[in-house]
Amino acid sequence: MKQILTPFGEVDKKTRIGIILFWIILALGSFEIFHSKIIPPPSRIGQSILDLVTSSGFYEDLIASLITTSKAMFYSILLTVVIVYLSVIQLFKPIANFVSKCRYLTLTGLIFVFTVLSKDTAELKMYLLIFGIVPFFVTSFYSTIHSAPIEERWKAYVNRLGRWGALYETVIVGKLDVLFEVMRQNFAISWMMITMVEGYAMSEGGIGTLLIKSNKYLDLGPVFAMLVIVLVLGLLFDFGLSALRKMLFPYLSK
Amino acid sequence: MTYEIKETLLQVNNVSKSYDVPILENVSFEIKNITRPNIHQGQIVSLIGKSGSGKSTLFRILAGLEEPTSGRVQVKNMDTHEYQDVKEGDMGVVFQNSYIFPWRRVEDILDMAASANPKMKENKKELIEHYVEIFSLSEHIKKYSKNLSGGQKQRVAIAEQILNGGDFILLDEPFSGLDTLTIDKVTQALVKIAEEDEHKTIIIVSHDLSNALAISDTAFILSKPPTAKAATITAHLSLASAGLAWQPDIKENPAFRELLKQVKSLL
Repeated sequence: MKQILTPFGEVDKKTRIGIILFWIILALGSFEIFHSKIIPPPSRIGQSILDLVTSSGFYEDLIASLITTSKAMFYSILLTVVIVYLSVIQLFKPIANFVSKCRYLTLTGLIFVFTVLSKDTAELKMYLLIFGIVPFFVTSFYSTIHSAPIEERWKAYVNRLGRWGALYETVIVGKLDVLFEVMRQNFAISWMMITMVEGYAMSEGGIGTLLIKSNKYLDLGPVFAMLVIVLVLGLLFDFGLSALRKMLFPYLSK
Repeated sequence: MTYEIKETLLQVNNVSKSYDVPILENVSFEIKNITRPNIHQGQIVSLIGKSGSGKSTLFRILAGLEEPTSGRVQVKNMDTHEYQDVKEGDMGVVFQNSYIFPWRRVEDILDMAASANPKMKENKKELIEHYVEIFSLSEHIKKYSKNLSGGQKQRVAIAEQILNGGDFILLDEPFSGLDTLTIDKVTQALVKIAEEDEHKTIIIVSHDLSNALAISDTAFILSKPPTAKAATITAHLSLASAGLAWQPDIKENPAFRELLKQVKSLL
């Protein structure tokens, strides 16, 4: 008991779960008791979740969003690896630096440009997602590649792998787990963006469309229910990707 | 103990290196082929210096990983018998923390090293097995770096560099962070490697006088003379000519202990 209040205290798994449950109950309880008239209490949100998952069309929208996110992630990773792998060659380094800086650009001003460039709304969503995701992927991946200990490259050189061999061994093979981690950490950005871009192309459906429709009628129960579902799905993906990373890369310490 | 000093295998001529401040100044020395009648034996050379004396800088220059500001390092090519400037890949290198690729299993690390060595095309598998046996790595070949102890990692790193095939193997502080028993294993392994080929030359860069000198036939002291701006070679010790080389129990020898005292005073 003393350990949970001591700085740097150590607790077992059971106690850790107990602490988490304590905070969840406290937060939900407070929310239930002290909620405002506008924001629905947890009990109403729970009911809305139930209504939502049993409603027709929900799963189609969810699958549509998942497919769009997965496609955008796939293309973004492809672009990221090309940009970052090339950044070890001085001539191409500025491209990675520029793309990384693009994370400060807002999508809102660029929607018109992408609308003109795209054939249909599906393509528009894809452009927006990729443009939003890639700068974050590049920033994370680039920083890991370029901050790797120099011994890695030295080792490759003394092992007579040459410069291209060093690129293959220390960056492409050696940092595959990092790429996976970058993907996991930045999945949140893609997942957050999907609801936004689906709002720009509502004919395609998706959970973003559902969210906007609910917002329109000031029906906050379903809105909060959607938010909870989006959050839970995001966390499940994070957990799944983390478990997959541990399985695929057994040499990782943690 | 009779021996003969033959041709120069490595020559370091007036090597200087400066970053913001000078680190090395006119470092010059030669490593020669020492032969003993009826004994197959390479060389073990120690480069001794205290911490911060520029040993690691010299190590990187010798390994061809860094260019000196001036001067040159040349090695004898055993195929053409000509001297050539050292370049990365000419020397096997074991780094201070015995770095090995953490994403590769021990068996893959050894296989990659042997595959990079053109001399091992025909009997690669046998030679890998031979060194796995010598370095007692049989039970570790399926492991990753994170599952190896410091001593095991070092043995893998040394085996890797031997399989990689260079005549020179450079080791940076090979005894650092190892317990006495592991140090004994490592020193025995280094002596075994040196005995494999007449031209095999092991260069130990270390501040650990006792362990380094105990297995060396030659040593160079790297230190900064009082009037100099940077470190240079201040002494050349021939343990072979002093009768202190190639003896397994040399640490018990009073003359060896006296030599250690003298070297300490030079640092």
